[in-house]
Amino acid sequence: MEKSMISGRIWVLTNNRGELIEDIDTDQIYHNAHLHITEISEMGQYALGNLKGWEDFSQKAQPGDILIGGRNFGAGSSRQQAVDCFLSLRLAAVIAPSFGAIYFRNAVNSALPVFKCPDLKEYVEKGKMESGDRIEVNYRTGEGTVVNKRFDFFVEPMSDVQEGILRAGGLFNYEKTLNTT
Amino acid sequence: MGKTFSEKLLGAKADREVQAGDVVTVSPDFILSHDNSAAIIKKFQQIGVKKVRVPHKIVIVLDHVVPASSEKYALNHKIIREFVGEQKINNFFDISTGICHQVFSEKGFAMPGKLILGADSHTTSYGAFGAFSAGIGRSEVASLWATDEIWLKVPETLKIEMEGKLSNGVFAKDVILKIIGDQGADRANYKAVEFAGKAAQEFSIASRLVLSNMAAEMGAKNGYFPPDNKTTGYLKNRAQQPYEIVSSDSDANYESILRYDVSSVVPQVASPHTVDNVRPVAEVEGLKFHQALIGTCTNGRLEDLEAASRMLKGKKVDPSVRVLVIPASREVYLQAMRKGIMEVFSEAGCVILNPGCGPCLGAHQGILAPGEIALSTANRNFRGRMGSRDSEIYLASPATVAASAVEGKITDPRKYS
Repeated sequence: MEKSMISGRIWVLTNNRGELIEDIDTDQIYHNAHLHITEISEMGQYALGNLKGWEDFSQKAQPGDILIGGRNFGAGSSRQQAVDCFLSLRLAAVIAPSFGAIYFRNAVNSALPVFKCPDLKEYVEKGKMESGDRIEVNYRTGEGTVVNKRFDFFVEPMSDVQEGILRAGGLFNYEKTLNTT
Repeated sequence: MGKTFSEKLLGAKADREVQAGDVVTVSPDFILSHDNSAAIIKKFQQIGVKKVRVPHKIVIVLDHVVPASSEKYALNHKIIREFVGEQKINNFFDISTGICHQVFSEKGFAMPGKLILGADSHTTSYGAFGAFSAGIGRSEVASLWATDEIWLKVPETLKIEMEGKLSNGVFAKDVILKIIGDQGADRANYKAVEFAGKAAQEFSIASRLVLSNMAAEMGAKNGYFPPDNKTTGYLKNRAQQPYEIVSSDSDANYESILRYDVSSVVPQVASPHTVDNVRPVAEVEGLKFHQALIGTCTNGRLEDLEAASRMLKGKKVDPSVRVLVIPASREVYLQAMRKGIMEVFSEAGCVILNPGCGPCLGAHQGILAPGEIALSTANRNFRGRMGSRDSEIYLASPATVAASAVEGKITDPRKYS
């Protein structure tokens, strides 16, 4: 059985009232002042740098951490830096109730695992998911667990294309595998 | 059951019957990119392919930061110029032509029945001509340059039926702001939008572009208008290729059908910091602001500049406000100049900038300081988009922005029309 689990410590993107922040747009994820940068390794330091209360995220995040966001995460611009900055920090996944359409595609194609979790807001409101918790997600079945709270939840499982691209390590490698088979 | 425009067009491209939800592998007619081509070139070189697959499908327009405002942007532009030379990409438009979406339209690349993909979220604009056009990411464009193929999910479709006639002082911008305000910034995520009904056909091509452009702000993949005489008339002497009109079947299956009577729409304003935070102008009337922007890919066309100039003719902008005017393209600039519109702007005290994206995305030419407020004809009011994260952006029609610039505070343009 191939590995189909993603696990890590979570950061729940809440505002000062403890509510999950919705409509986090690409300008808040990666501000336009840094768009001239083309090196992915330099992008991580600016991740969420324009999101109120989360300006210091890049200093707090550790490789393998998982980001939990609100509805319509990544709305707006097609800028891929808004995905690349999280790859630069080596985050393990982003989970939100819904995503901006281009953002979702960019993440899939860049092999950043993204999951839609329709009931996420409720989990956060009920305190079932808080920053610092550890979660596990099976991306094939969509079954998830908050390990330290023994709370089970569901995300939408990955599509075959998404999983294929993820396993290949990105769209470019995926296409190479398609061309050789 | 009949098919939607998206099902028909993507089915034709994939050469099989498809329906919403299917994933197809297709080859686009055109691939657009702008200053971000520098980053795309970097990705393309990682793929390890020497030559782009189909040079004539690639369209590159430098518009985001033109002329270059710093050495880094200058270097990016230089890399792009060298690349288009090496790769024999003839559809390259350097800094003098204008905003990519306007240039792409004027040069006749946006045609009915075409599949257009671009590394810019407002690529949805070409739905105004009856194309399927969607924004994609940088890696996808690099991959398209190399392979000429891409996977797309056939979207479900939201139909927006518009009836009635606009009142004086109310414009396409007010209609789309009203729709987005009612429906929310994610209502059409992953979905296609079809604008239909008699009022849709009444809109000029320039007005259709406003709605299709801002369909992106509902999360839409595409914002289609059925092509008609206005479309074919505009494309006469412009179209780059022969084209065929693709239309929806009358019994197509829609996710939802929304109905709007545009005659009841009043001037609208989107308040910070989301595009769906919309209310009638009366509710924000009297709010003072520091900078006005008239232009952008949403509202920088001749009819927009005309509407704004009618508010400004023979008047002066309030001394507390800086007004920036940016025609969407050199073609628009010339038309406006010949009609005396530029003179009106200059005499009123506006700053006229060269065609391009200008300060809309906060890169140069009029960045906002902390605490400043802008009233703009653009499509986005995200926090910090035009500069400081502690600045605010309100969105409105060119008439509302211009009338407000005269008063130095947000006002209803209907009292001047």
